[in-house]
This record gives sequence, structure tokens and C-alpha cells, in this order.
Amino acid sequence: MMTDKVGTVIEKVKNVTDKVGIYIHVPFCRSKCYYCDFCSECGTNKDTVDAYVDAACREIDAVAASVRETRGGARLPVADTVYFGGGTPTLLDPEQFERLILAVRRNFGVAEGAEITAEANPKTADREKLAAMRRAGINRLSIGMQSTHDGELRALGRIHNFADFERIFADAREVGFDNISADLMYGIPEQTEESFCESVRRLAAMDPEHISSYCLTVEEGTNFYRRRDSLNLPDEDEVASMYRKMSNILSENGYNKYEISNFAKVGRASRHNLKYWEYDDYIGIGVAAHSFFGGVRSSHSRDIEGYIRGENIIDDTQKIEGDEAVSEYVMLAMRLSRGVDIAKFKANFGLDFYEKFGGKIAKFSPEFIEKNEKNCRFTSEGMFVSNYILSEMLEF
Amino acid sequence: MSRSDRMKKIRNFSIIAHIDHGKSTLADRILESTQAVSKREMEEQVLDNMELEKERGITIKARAVKLDYTAPDGEKYVFNLIDTPGHVDFNYEVSRSLNACDGALLVVDATQGIEAQTLANAYLAVDANLEIIPVINKIDLPSADIERARSEVEDQIGIPAEGCPAVSAKTGLNIEQVLEAVVRDIPAPTGDEDAPLKALIFDSYYDSYLGVVVNVRLIDGKICAGDKIRLMSTGREFEVVEVGTMEAFGLCKCDCLQAGEVGYITASIKSVGDTRVGDTVTLADNPASEALPGFKAVQPMVFAGIYPADGARYGDLRDALEKLRLNDAALTFEPETSIALGFGFRCGFLGLLHMEIIEERLEREFNLDLITTAPGVIYEVKTRGGETVMIDNPSNFPTADVIEVAKEPLVKASIITPTEYVGGLMDLCQDRRGVFHDMKYLDSTRVELHYDLPLNEIIYDFFDALKSRSRGYASLDYELKGYEPSKLVKLDFLLNGEQVDALSFIVHEEKAYGRARRIAEKLKDNIPRQLFEVPIQAAIGSKVIARETVKAMRKDVLAKCYGGDITRKKKLLEKQKEGKKKMRQLGSVQVSPEAFMAVLKLGDDD
Repeated sequence: MMTDKVGTVIEKVKNVTDKVGIYIHVPFCRSKCYYCDFCSECGTNKDTVDAYVDAACREIDAVAASVRETRGGARLPVADTVYFGGGTPTLLDPEQFERLILAVRRNFGVAEGAEITAEANPKTADREKLAAMRRAGINRLSIGMQSTHDGELRALGRIHNFADFERIFADAREVGFDNISADLMYGIPEQTEESFCESVRRLAAMDPEHISSYCLTVEEGTNFYRRRDSLNLPDEDEVASMYRKMSNILSENGYNKYEISNFAKVGRASRHNLKYWEYDDYIGIGVAAHSFFGGVRSSHSRDIEGYIRGENIIDDTQKIEGDEAVSEYVMLAMRLSRGVDIAKFKANFGLDFYEKFGGKIAKFSPEFIEKNEKNCRFTSEGMFVSNYILSEMLEF
Repeated sequence: MSRSDRMKKIRNFSIIAHIDHGKSTLADRILESTQAVSKREMEEQVLDNMELEKERGITIKARAVKLDYTAPDGEKYVFNLIDTPGHVDFNYEVSRSLNACDGALLVVDATQGIEAQTLANAYLAVDANLEIIPVINKIDLPSADIERARSEVEDQIGIPAEGCPAVSAKTGLNIEQVLEAVVRDIPAPTGDEDAPLKALIFDSYYDSYLGVVVNVRLIDGKICAGDKIRLMSTGREFEVVEVGTMEAFGLCKCDCLQAGEVGYITASIKSVGDTRVGDTVTLADNPASEALPGFKAVQPMVFAGIYPADGARYGDLRDALEKLRLNDAALTFEPETSIALGFGFRCGFLGLLHMEIIEERLEREFNLDLITTAPGVIYEVKTRGGETVMIDNPSNFPTADVIEVAKEPLVKASIITPTEYVGGLMDLCQDRRGVFHDMKYLDSTRVELHYDLPLNEIIYDFFDALKSRSRGYASLDYELKGYEPSKLVKLDFLLNGEQVDALSFIVHEEKAYGRARRIAEKLKDNIPRQLFEVPIQAAIGSKVIARETVKAMRKDVLAKCYGGDITRKKKLLEKQKEGKKKMRQLGSVQVSPEAFMAVLKLGDDD
């Protein structure tokens, strides 16, 4: 069944694309990490989780029906990436993963060689579950490691230790995951440059295909925010230095920085996440999920109970056009190491990139921003101060 | 009633006091006791009716009120109570208000005794030939010492205080003694109502319906609606629209005002600049032969540049200043431009309090965000070419090679303090280039210090420093003494090699190094990091005397675009963009308005 809310979103969909990424949000956790302001709930009973999975399957059906209607019954785009994010997706049973993937498959179809990722918490998946997830079609894991130091993990409010990560990593390899990403965090309480570099080295030595490394931001409404004045955080200079050292270590170990916070072995960049930065279409399913489809952005509400009842699903919808679309495009593309592709920009917007932004870019030293006929991109130095530069370049 | 009988029943008086000694509270009790205002209506102090005054507990502008008093013997009297401003910035206005009176109540806090402004105001009252009645106040407080306060009045001011009223204005205790003393001791006005009109202006304010309302005390003669008046300092003439008296809750029109009375005149006057406090009003067709003595056109002593934080609001700032000037003849302003701050105004004030009041009113009443440059005084420079120029803006200060001699204004300052703080305060005065004159023991616990101090040393934060070094007990009074030669230099600040005109100021050579270093440090702490290193230099001419560096920004990035949530990042950039709009672009460097403010507010300990 299709809700009105979803209907209004999809009616605005005009563009036809062949491929789409599907993001499915799993808003459940065993406990909340101190820095986390994502949508998740702790201690949810099994029935509710199951009801949520059902509701998500229904939403996939409804969205597909609505897209099909808009396109006058034409073919739907095929899903070439599926991403289970959270929350803690590994709190789902393998059977629940199967149902969700099936819902995508029966509506959109899943392209051959599609990237199907699940985020995993080291404490919530044993070898058996990993094997079952693999059988359900998941072929990429993104494991929240964060640090190799148990003290730092405790300071973050993580429920696992480093040994748990080592175990899940080994188990994942054992059951056949050949595309694994691990998360790191820096700029966290008690961390030093040395301890962070050690985390980076130890992780690189384990040879995952992909590493995401995020700097802590203390967000409102989190445990950290309440304690923000007493958190012993590294200062701006230390954090900048951590970033540089990390980039170097990862580069030495064969990882390419393809986005500000993402590093991958050749051919192993996250295809799903690239859709965000390359202005491609993606459809979000579940509470707090975000969609960008046919030039329309929409976001889901965070109300889990409402979602299960099929009410109050979408809380905001916005058609992105004109200068705003241009600014978004640039903001996102500039996160990537290859930056804005000048030809693609022209094809998308019919504008000459340098005619529009050349004057503003000229204010910044080539130390921060590089330009040639093919690309305009941040240097490694520029990336780390990119907000400063983008906020001068762009109009929203 | 014969003429002389009419005058015999009038009492014109002021209440004078040091700040916080209870002047306004006593005024309230008098209003209440004469039934001009009922107790219920008395919740707020009627005489102080500006919002800022209430907050600061001080009276900024004089106000007057006419009260009807029936003495215990049944005789009816008219009291004109003229309130006076209570701060050294407004000394001249105080003196004019006092000249409109025949007597004054000198309020002395029984717990504090005599303070600097008690003395200063008492001297002003003596100068105005007023009969002074001491009133010892706050006798309800446990630490009250009535006898000590009385003996201080007798010893230090030299007026008898034996048996003077001792009251609690707060509780109303013994207020009737004050009223009886007013009737008994304050002389009735003298004056000749047949002589040509002489009326002293002691206040004026702009009313959007009436135009300027001029408050006057008639010395001689008589004034009626329809008369043609002349203001003797300017010769300007106006036709009187209305005359009347100031009652507790508003103006009360009457036919004529006569010698000895206090009242108001309206005459379709557009600007308070035409009705200067201290000026004499006379009749155009039967003028007095000479004006009342003591008129001075008030001169601003402190100058600062005021700029809108948002350059687009220049017009609003101009309109706001014009509105304030309608009511404030002491405020001057003229347009100026700064490379750093854009279009703004160079404003002149009576003193620092006056400046703060104007700033606050601009911000509150007109909803303006302001950037104010460091306050300065008027310097006198004689050039080698033999020319003498008055400098109120550091930008116009000539270079050292052109200056023959530079002079700065000095004030005679009197500080009264408990003895234990004398050392610290003498250090403070010394540090501010003060020249010690003498020290008088007022009694075994308190001392009066006399110093000559450069005005530019006391306009920054001297008063705050004085208070902090004396735990709030020391009090200050000062008056302008004149100009003295001084080794003055202009201190400039450069950001990334470019001079920021709005940060320049004139300072004594000896103080330049310390100030330069402290301001450079403050700038370093308040200028946001930029993409490149920003050198800060302080210089006199081409000589750099202090330097600091704002390190380059290292990190300004949003780590994660989670689950395709683009909106959040967009909002973050938008917010950042908003923040940047408030920044001032100084050459290649962006500086927040807060940085300017931080630099201007150097504390005592900085």
C-alpha cells in the first residue's frame, strides 16, 4: 500500500535513470555510543524489529509502485547498490536481511555484480550469522572498529573491544567476505597522535579493502555534548596533524584517498557512497533515511512507531534546482579527490564551471585548490579546510 | 494674595547626593508625602523615568516636578523639586539645575558618610549660593552612624548639621522633618516680576507633539502664551505656544509663569540644540539687559567612531543618532569613513558614561549592532608650520616630523577612599601618568586624594580599575583643567602588512609599548584563523613595536555525509556563510566585529 506522503514524493520524480542505490536504515542498537546522534533505539523487542522490517518491505513496494506510476508503467531503475546502515544492521536476523533484499529484488531488481553492504558492529555478529548474511546476498561489510585501543573504545561508549574486531574480521574473511571496510575515528577523547597512528597502522596491516576515517564532531543531543566542557579532546592542530599522518600511512599501504574521509584499495571505493558525492540517485528506506531521486530530496521522520503503522513517514521534501543544485553538486563533488569533472558539470548544468566559480576560486592559493581543463579539486591541504573555502564559493 | 505673599509660599530646591545614597528614593517619599503621587502609584521612581536610568539607578537628565504641600500649621506651599543628574559627565547640567534652586537637600548615606560626589555636589551648591540642608539617610540600616555622618558634614563641608533630619527614605521614617526643614530653612525666591523677563533654562527635551519642551526657572519677570521670546546666547526668537507647570504625572497648562516659579515653555522649537541648558530666556520686545551668568555651550570631551556592524544599516544609524540628538544637545556626530569599517560617524560625548548611554540606546531602542572604535579625546597640535589644529580623530594626527608640540587635556581629579586602598589607588594614578597634588585625611578612616590626570588615561577603564582596586569604595570626581604639552604618538596596527585605520589611537609614548603588546595579544586571540598565517604588528610610524601571529587554520571540514543527508551539510555551510557576512574584510584578512570590541575593552589586568 502506498501512503499519500510517499505518493507526493514520487509524483515529483520526473527524470528517468537506469540505476539507483537503495539505502535501508536499521534504527536499532544494543546501546548508544556517546558521540552518536544518528537515529537509533536501544532495547527494542524482537517483534517490533520484525514489524519494522515488514514496514520497510512495504515501503519498498510502495515507492516502487509510485515510481512506476510516475513513469507510466515504464521499467524501474535497477538497484546496483544496496546499503544497510544504522543503528546496528547486524542486530537483524539473516532472514530479515533476506526479506529486505527480496523486496528490493522483486521491485527494482538487483543488478549483476551489485554492491550490497551491511554495517556491522563487532559484538553483534558471529561467524554463523556472517555466513548467513553472505548467503542472503550481502557481499560487503563495513565494520565499526573506530580504534585499536580498548581505552579509547570505552571512552567512545563502544560495546566491543579490539579483540572483538579481530575476531569478526577473521570470521568475515573465513566465510568469504572479500570486500571489507573498517571505520576509524580521530579527534576523540584521550587520543594522542601516536595512539591514532598505531590504530591506523594496525588496521592497515590487517589489509581491509576500504577504510573510512572520521573526525569526531560533538553533536547536540549526545552524551558527549552534555559533557562537552570536560572532554579532553585533541586541539585543532593535533587533529590536523593526525589527518595528515593518517593520509600518509594509508597511502604507503596502498590505499587511495578518494574522498575526504575515505580510503580504498584500487577498485574498492564504496560504490554506494559515491552516489552521494556524484549526484546520482538513491532511495532511502526506513526512519531517518534520505533520498535523492530525480532532483528531489526527501527525508524520513525519526518516528519508529509511526513508521511501523505506515504514518508520518516523510517529513521533508524539496525539489533542488537552479543555483542550489549547482551549489550542492559542487559541494559534494569537491569532497572527492578527483573534484568536479568540468565536462560532466557542463553536461549537467549547461554552464562553464570556471566562468561561474573562477573568480571565487582565484581568491584561494593553489596550495588549497587545483584547477585544470578537466578537473577542479582540493589539494590534500585544501580538503581539510574545505568548509571554509566552500562557504565562500557557494550560494544556497 | 499679594505678590510677595505668592513668592513667600514657593520653595525651589534640589536633592543632591553621591550615587546610591538614596536621592531618588527620597524624592519618591517627598512626592508621596505631598500626595502628589499615591503610594500605589509610587512603585516606580517617578522622577527617573528613562529605562536606562532605572537599570543603572542613576539619573541621567534633570527633571522637575511641582508639589503642593500643606504644612502642619495649615499653610499651603508650592514646592518645586528639581532633580539633577548624578554623574561627573553631567557636572555642568547639575550646576545649572542648582542655579534654578534656592536651596538643596544634601543626602548623606549614614553608612557611607561623605563621598567624592557628595563633596563635589555640595561645592556646586555652595557656588550657586544655595541654602544646604543635610539629610542623613538610610538610618534604618544596622551599620548606620548618624553622628559620624553629621560630623563629617560639619567638618568637611563646613555647614551645621546639628539636628538636621535623619531619615530612612526607604521606610519613610522622619520624612516630615525634611518637609518642615524645606519650609523653614530654604529661602523663598526673590525676584521682580515687573522687571524684564529672565528665565534660566535648566533642562529641555523633545516631544513629538509639542516640539521642544523647555524647563525654566523664572528669576525676574513674567511669561505668557503668545509672548515672543528670545534665547539670549543665540539671539533666536520664538513665539510661545504654551506655558505651564510640571505636575507629577504630566504637564499642566496655565496662562502665565511669574518670577520665582518653575515651569515649562513650548514654542514650536524643533531642536534642543536651540535651547541650551544654562541659557537665558527673555522677551523679544522687552529684553533683559544681560543674561544670567554661568552659561557655557557644552563641549563634548570624548570622541569615538561608531559604525553599524552591518554596513547596510548606515542610514538607520544616521536616523537614530538624529533622533537622539533631538533630546541631547551634548551629543555631536559627523560622518566619517574608515577603510576597515566603512561608513560611520565620529561622535562626541560628555564622557564615557554618556558614550555608553548613547551606545546602549542605539542598540536597544533602534536595534542596531555597532562597532565602536577606541574612545579618544581632543588633542591640540601645533605644527612646525605654526598652525594649531584640534584633533578628535586619530586618522588626522600629523606625523611626528610635522609636530612642533602636541598637547593633551588634563583633569583635576579628586578621589575619596578608605585609607587601606590608598596605596593601590596611588599606584593606579601613577600608572595613568597622574601628578600627585595632595592627600587629605577626611577622618581616621578616609582620605581624599588630588591628582592631575590626563583625560585620555581615565576615559578607558579608569573608573572600573578604581572600583576594583578599592572593592567599590573609592569615588571619583573630576573637572577639566586645561591642555598640557605631552609626548603623544599615534599607534597603528597592521594585519598581514596592511594598516587597519579603525584600530589606531593616540597614546603617550611611554604607554605605547605596553598597550601595543596587550592589544596585539588580544587581536591574536580574537581574529579567527584564516587559510594563511596572519602577522599582527603594532607600529609607531614605520617602527614596529610589537608583533604576534595568528596561526593558519588547520581544520574546517565536515567529516561525514551520513546516509546521504546532504541537507545537514548544506545548513552548516549556510551558517558558516552567514557568520562570514558579519566579518569585516580588512585587506586579505577577515575580522569579526567581536575582535574590535575585545580590543577596545582592555581590562585593568590585561
